Amino acid sequence: MNDTAVLGRSRAMVTETRHLLFTVSPGAAWIILFLVLPSAYLMGVAFMTNGPYGLPEMPLSLESFRQLAGFGFLGWSPGNLYTLLRSLWQTVVATGLVVVVAYPIAYYITTCRARWRPIMLLLVVVPSWTNQVIRTFGWMNLLAPGTPLSAAAETLGLIAPNMGLYPSNFAVTLGLVYNFLPFMVLPLYAAFEKLDTAQVEAAQDLYATPIKAFWHAVFPQTLPGLLAGVVLVAIPAFGMYVIPELLGGGKALMLGNLVANQFSGGSNWPLGAAGAILMLLATFAGLYAMRRIGKRLGGGEEVVI
Amino acid sequence: MRKRTLKRGLTGFWWLTLVFLYLPLAVVVMFSFNAANSAASMTGFSLRWYHQLFANDQIMSAFGNTLVLALASSLIALAIGCLIGYGMYRHRHRKLGWLIVLIYLPIVLPDIVFGISEMAFFVKLHELTGWFKPGLGTMIIAHVTFQIPFVALIVYSRFVGLDPTLFEAAKDLYATPIKRVVHFMLPTIKPALISAFFLSFTLSVDDFVISFFTSGPESATLPIYIWGAIKKGVSPEINAIATLMIAAVALAAVASLAINRRKA
Amino acid sequence: MTEIPSAQRATQHAGDSSATPADSGEAEHVAQPHGSSQHELSEHGPSEHDRPADGGSERSASSIHMQGLHKRFGNSTVALDGVDLTIQAGEFFTLLGPSGCGKTTLLRILAGLEEADDGRLTIGQRDVTDVPPHQRSVNTVFQSYALFPHLSVRENLAFGLKMRGVDRQQREERVARIAQFIQLGDLIDRRIDQLSGGQRQRIALARALVCEPDVLLLDEPLSALDAGLRSQLQVELLRVQKRLGMTFVFVTHDQDEAMVMSDRIAVLNGGTIQQVGPPRDVYERPVNAFVARFMGHDNLYPISRREGDRVTTELGELVLEPGTAGSDELLLIRPETLDVLPGTQQGANHLHGRVVERLYRGSHAEFRLAVGAATIQATINNRGHRLPEVDDEVTLVVAAEDLVTVAA
Repeated sequence: MNDTAVLGRSRAMVTETRHLLFTVSPGAAWIILFLVLPSAYLMGVAFMTNGPYGLPEMPLSLESFRQLAGFGFLGWSPGNLYTLLRSLWQTVVATGLVVVVAYPIAYYITTCRARWRPIMLLLVVVPSWTNQVIRTFGWMNLLAPGTPLSAAAETLGLIAPNMGLYPSNFAVTLGLVYNFLPFMVLPLYAAFEKLDTAQVEAAQDLYATPIKAFWHAVFPQTLPGLLAGVVLVAIPAFGMYVIPELLGGGKALMLGNLVANQFSGGSNWPLGAAGAILMLLATFAGLYAMRRIGKRLGGGEEVVI
Repeated sequence: MRKRTLKRGLTGFWWLTLVFLYLPLAVVVMFSFNAANSAASMTGFSLRWYHQLFANDQIMSAFGNTLVLALASSLIALAIGCLIGYGMYRHRHRKLGWLIVLIYLPIVLPDIVFGISEMAFFVKLHELTGWFKPGLGTMIIAHVTFQIPFVALIVYSRFVGLDPTLFEAAKDLYATPIKRVVHFMLPTIKPALISAFFLSFTLSVDDFVISFFTSGPESATLPIYIWGAIKKGVSPEINAIATLMIAAVALAAVASLAINRRKA
Repeated sequence: MTEIPSAQRATQHAGDSSATPADSGEAEHVAQPHGSSQHELSEHGPSEHDRPADGGSERSASSIHMQGLHKRFGNSTVALDGVDLTIQAGEFFTLLGPSGCGKTTLLRILAGLEEADDGRLTIGQRDVTDVPPHQRSVNTVFQSYALFPHLSVRENLAFGLKMRGVDRQQREERVARIAQFIQLGDLIDRRIDQLSGGQRQRIALARALVCEPDVLLLDEPLSALDAGLRSQLQVELLRVQKRLGMTFVFVTHDQDEAMVMSDRIAVLNGGTIQQVGPPRDVYERPVNAFVARFMGHDNLYPISRREGDRVTTELGELVLEPGTAGSDELLLIRPETLDVLPGTQQGANHLHGRVVERLYRGSHAEFRLAVGAATIQATINNRGHRLPEVDDEVTLVVAAEDLVTVAA
């Protein structure tokens, strides 16, 4: 139309862009420099060769991925594959158990008086504010051989004498459930709180049994919260390091331990990096799957991530 | 009739769950007062582990490191995260997908990948530049990295909750850009800044994995010290430190409850 | 530059009526402040030396001149398409139009919250086209009130003064004075979240007035309130403006509100000014079909033939007042200018019709009548006479001087 108008607009654009850069670039630069670059470097390490001191060296190779798949000097061994399967299995079982516990708890909180609800939520959340190592240490104390719980399990014949409930796969599962319970209760509680009771009443009217009414009116409404909870629980559970390390002993390792041990022992960085790539892929695949499911259910935006 | 049974069942389940949630913590607290050096049975009440605790230089230095790390990283993350939160708000109509991905990255990345990436990177940087020696400095950098997103999201959501014409009202009422920040924006988002700071602080104190991989020999924090002690074989001192940390959390919980009450 | 006939006409019109606002403005608004009248708020106060901006001690109302204002959003949406307008000092001026007509954009340009792509804006003697909002002596009452939630009522009122660097003692004096003037009473010590909608509106007004701006802008400040409170606050706003003699620019989409409040109204549509004038002009002599319809008129009929003062429409032949100028495109008959007589009577400007619908409203009744193939609406005051019933054959009579021709 005319030049001054265009000039004025582009001047405003420049000011806005400068503002955007000023506010956003320190944080963005920080994350890029101290997280994106390191992750990229780690991925690079996965394609390098393991040197004599456990540090990555040239030339580039796929040796680390071969090792991750179980091929070593002595031929193929299933150890790493077991670790991977165990990680998946522990994640699935722990997430399932967390749902089973959290669902009634979240519902129960919404049925209580409004003034009690914040306190009840706080009671659920507070244990997770304490350090993970301390919480896990508490379970070690509880499940060790000779403790009342272990003794009870022994008399019931659940475990061999003098073994104790820890270290074991069971202890790891328990630790995971304990650790992630609040992450499931919170989104579920939010979903229950928003529940449209008119729909529930209509359903009670329409369907004869309470189970049908629940399935058709209540459950679909809580699904977005449930999905958000699954994301918050399953993804960090899959990469868990502390709990299997402390409660699992040597026999209940998960992928996180496999990765970490390549670094803390300084034994094989490329192998650890390859494991980290696998973990990243699993994380993003999990996030993507949840988004897809969330979108298909129409509650896409409700899922937190 | 059936409803009441359901409610009673749920109440029972609720109390069971609370026992499940607090039993491990209660055990730690209980054994911290144990007279004997045993994690299996209580033999009597004693404060000896607490006395030992305060005499242990390693624990005292770990406590100092924990505080310095949490305080320094929270303050840096508050400044950077606050800016980025405001930038996200102000430019929310632009296409900022890349920024959202960047901000969520530290949240979704598994701790272990986060920790070892930074460790490997810092080792490499140290090799190349002589800087970034693993220690408190690298730990602060790592903690700031995972705190920034939380601060940014809290500040952003506070801004989104505001009436956008407030910004215009401030301009209209003669506030210069700097006065707008000092007299309008900062006071308005003060509650968000406070909760962002406390969340950052808690996240820092809670963190073990990332601290563990970015720390150096001199910079052990309390969780790292506890970890080492557990790995070496349980010492009842750990119960005492852990109890003090649990007490701090309980105090924070009561405080947050009191703040919520006053708001309501 | 594309041609913008309607805007040019509007400017001419503005020039005409602004020369003699009292002639056409009627007796409804008796106190017509002209030129520079002192603000009452300042007269009360002993101190006048608190305006660092221009250093002058005399506070006077300011006129506003807009020249060729253009504004686009994005690449396609035209918000303002060449607005030329002069608002007199001390005038209660209303920007009226449907949503999206550009009235709010124009107000925001006056406030400095939006920059015009092109054109000039002068407030008082000062060209403020490129002046940022915090350097303009203009204050706004926002539609959402925009009261600062972290501040008390008192701190909200003092905010503008504080930003201008007025010292504490003076701030307190002026806040107390405005609180008394707006009759805030004990509201002054409340928190913002303890206020009702009407109370917030009055605080927002006081917060803008306490700064004693040259011009006060009001962006649909009453639209969020219920009807009763709304008319009460309309009266209060008018009283404040008349006592202060400040220039008020008021934005609304409600033509009734515009007519009650304004000295002059500008009707906007599609980013251009359609008509500027006192309420009676705009209501009784709309220049085009848009203005007529927006002011609530539905009885518009295309003129198929015009010979001198005689026009033919689908209603039949009607006689205009001699010398009626204007366009020959549409004939407007306002419903309240029609008389409804029983039976079939003959005469000039007599139309014969049948009652199709009657809405009884107590003080008056609204009729929909069929005249030949056409429909017409009539409003009749209820003066105790018999009101025609549905299906009655009646005669409609309209005076020649009440007939208006408008452009399409």
